[in-house]
Amino acid sequence: MAEDLSLNGPDNEDTQKDKYLTFHLAGENYGIDICYVIEIIGIQSITEVPDMPAFIRGVINLRGKVIPVMDVRARFKLPARDYDDRTCIIVINVDSTEVGLVVDEVSEVADIPESHVEPAPRTSKNSDNSYIQGMGKMNNRVIILLDVHKLLFSNEMQRLIQSDGDEE
Amino acid sequence: MGMQLDDDQIEIIQEFVTESRDMIEQLEPAIIELGQNSDPETMNAIFRLFHSMKGSAGFLEFTHLTRVAHAAESLLDLVRNNEIELLPEHVTLFCAACDFAKDALDAVDASFSDDTMSAAADSISAQLHLAIDGPATSAADPQEDHPTTPVASEPEPVFPEMEITEEMRNSFVQESGELLQHAEQGLLAWGEHPEDADSIGDIFRHIHSFKGNCGFFGFAHLEKLSHQMENVLDRVKSGSRLAVDNPTEQLLVSLDLLQQGLNNIAEGKEDFIEDLDSHLEALKNLMTPLLGDLLAEEGVDKLAISSAVEIQKKPVGEILMQQGSATPEQIANALKRQQESSDEAKAKAKPVTRSKVPAKRQDIRVELGKLDNLINLIGEMVIAENMLIHNPDLKGLELENFGKAAQHMSKLVRELQEMAMSIRMIPVSGLFRRMIRLVHDISVKAGKKVDLQLIGEETEIDKTVIETITDPLVHLLRNSLDHGLEPPAERMANGKSEKGTVKLSARHEEGEVWVTIEDDGRGLNREKILEKAISKGLIEGDGSDLTEKQINNLIFAPGFSTAAQVTDISGRGVGMDVVKRNLEKIKGKIDITSKLGQGTRINLRIPLTLAIIDGMMVRVGTTTCIVPTLSILEAYRPEMEQITVTPDGDELARVREHFFPVVRLHQILNKRPDSEQLCNGILIVLEYQDSRFCLFVDEILGQQQTVIKGLSDFIGTVPGVSGCTILGDGGVSLILDVGTLVESFDSKKELADAAAISKGDE
Repeated sequence: MAEDLSLNGPDNEDTQKDKYLTFHLAGENYGIDICYVIEIIGIQSITEVPDMPAFIRGVINLRGKVIPVMDVRARFKLPARDYDDRTCIIVINVDSTEVGLVVDEVSEVADIPESHVEPAPRTSKNSDNSYIQGMGKMNNRVIILLDVHKLLFSNEMQRLIQSDGDEE
Repeated sequence: MGMQLDDDQIEIIQEFVTESRDMIEQLEPAIIELGQNSDPETMNAIFRLFHSMKGSAGFLEFTHLTRVAHAAESLLDLVRNNEIELLPEHVTLFCAACDFAKDALDAVDASFSDDTMSAAADSISAQLHLAIDGPATSAADPQEDHPTTPVASEPEPVFPEMEITEEMRNSFVQESGELLQHAEQGLLAWGEHPEDADSIGDIFRHIHSFKGNCGFFGFAHLEKLSHQMENVLDRVKSGSRLAVDNPTEQLLVSLDLLQQGLNNIAEGKEDFIEDLDSHLEALKNLMTPLLGDLLAEEGVDKLAISSAVEIQKKPVGEILMQQGSATPEQIANALKRQQESSDEAKAKAKPVTRSKVPAKRQDIRVELGKLDNLINLIGEMVIAENMLIHNPDLKGLELENFGKAAQHMSKLVRELQEMAMSIRMIPVSGLFRRMIRLVHDISVKAGKKVDLQLIGEETEIDKTVIETITDPLVHLLRNSLDHGLEPPAERMANGKSEKGTVKLSARHEEGEVWVTIEDDGRGLNREKILEKAISKGLIEGDGSDLTEKQINNLIFAPGFSTAAQVTDISGRGVGMDVVKRNLEKIKGKIDITSKLGQGTRINLRIPLTLAIIDGMMVRVGTTTCIVPTLSILEAYRPEMEQITVTPDGDELARVREHFFPVVRLHQILNKRPDSEQLCNGILIVLEYQDSRFCLFVDEILGQQQTVIKGLSDFIGTVPGVSGCTILGDGGVSLILDVGTLVESFDSKKELADAAAISKGDE
């Protein structure tokens, strides 16, 4: 299942441009800039860590490295769903912090040129919009492109860790 | 120094900066020692350090640094020759020179130039020169009972009966060994490319330093031989022709002899070199006798020769003939003799063979990052080994040979791990010696007399630990000096010696390193601490129920200070909590014992290594956790009658005559245990500092050494958990932090209580 997507080579820059790893989450298509993705692994046993917000599922052992795992469903406050054999963990590296993202299903690496990306719509109701980098159009489908920096490091995230941790 | 620096030059400069910093680190304590008792040995050591710094800085054209080092050296020289009496101001001045050198080195490190230090250099060297000129201008000084005549500087040798300590000897051997190696490399390179003038300069410099060191230590044989080598090299450097085309072989042989002598010294023997004279002769033969000398022997006027040498554009012989000072016969004779002696030398130089003498000990500087990687890798290997040996696929199989091989591998891995750990260990002496300066400065500022004793300097601690305890140690020492020790008058009044004693010691004890700071000052004042704690609301009641230890621990509370007035050294109440926090970071503990009027002892207990702990694996439901074995006192399966439930719902377990609160691990982890009944599980009695409690788990699975891994920075600190480890089956297991377990449990319980009240259910 493990598939190493980290590309090392002189043409690294070119080949990764405009490429997004897309995945399914509660019926929607999401995309992450491929340059952040290290690898995709199947779901494995996660060690829970006490006093964490619900979307931090715990930690896993990635070949000797201990990395935290975030459930993206829980992160977006979507209804929980049992993990099955399609559930994947996308390991991303943002500013040298490695985090695993649990998603329903990984679909493909899609090429979405900049001209096909529209800025995120501003709907004040949903504060989660701030994690959206843009809306990608591919044929008839719409792919929500995520801003991984905000996904991982937004202030709200820190606040959530604080408050959720206390409530638990 | 030109603006364009190539990599080599940068490397040389960086090496110079590192070396000089090391030197200053050694210098500072020595200078302060000098202020206390000016024995010639320390004096010479300091002199030598300034001298080396001057030399290296001069070579690299850091003029300001050279200037200051030179001035300091001159002043020291006067002191050494008893021309100036050493005054406390001088010590301060030397310290200032050190500080300047540090700043200058920082500047050099950053910009490869010390130009920015010009003003500072002016001021410090002016002060030094003032001190040098001091006695001359203050001739009326009544202290000067004997007039300083030029003859007064006794003709006796500059280094009178210096005693060479083991430590000096060792560092000499090591330093000189490095010099020889550099010289050897240089020689070999030069042998390949004789036209490279720079490498000769390098070799010359190394040999020159070596000679200086030997001369300083009085190793006459080594000095003679290296001196002769220096002569030869000097000849080469100035472009003269040698008797043989390539003197490398002979020089290498001499280097080997020097190494041999050095090895003898390392073994505590004399610097004896066999057949020294013949080797000196051989070196001498390398140098073609100067034509002028030979001509003089032929009866040519010396003045004429020297003037001829001045205008030595054409062959000397030719010029002399033109001047009529020499007859063609004389010159022909001289030339013939030159040729002869050159042939002779060639003949002598040929049969030389080298026998390699290995060096005794070698050090290399390694980038810390590489070392960390190595240790991480070995950590991985320990885990991989566990995964392999305890592989579930092997379960139930009778594998005798595999078992043997596995055992062997475990042993090797363990050794490898220990070795890697020991690489990171460095002696605390560097840290301790830095404190000498600090104590000196504070004692001067606070007007106290302090005798600082360093014990166990050779004790080795992990480098990271040393970095972490540096600040705490500074704080604690400041406190001891500023609050602990009384001013001399008060000490006298209390019947103590005028000079206070501060002992700084390090030793291995109970699988930990104990760093102790002990003073014979006034000790902690129980009443004052309590008063302060009550006024700050840190404790409830009058504190009469608190133990000595608990009271002493109060001083670690943030913002706590009993000092009547805030001095510029300490007393603002920041510090002790930082001390505690830093120690907790490395899983260390602090013990304070104090007797009013007699002194305070602060003991820092630090684990030997940060990377591995002995842990007990416990299970709650389907989850396993690691409890550090060090905190475990005992474990038992409780009987119903040993458990008492208070009206508040707190559970207490009786262990012989004591009652300890029960902490349920399943509540902390939010897990479902096998059974909620205490008597169906195991209680582990844990100790943290003074508090003891029982941890309720389902089962103890066994003991194992675990490699500590941090939880990701992304998660941050988790109360109750200090990190995690990877188990044999590849799973991750949390390592419990006994210290915060109690706190996290307490806060949880409060929240749970609050929730229960608001929701009305349990």
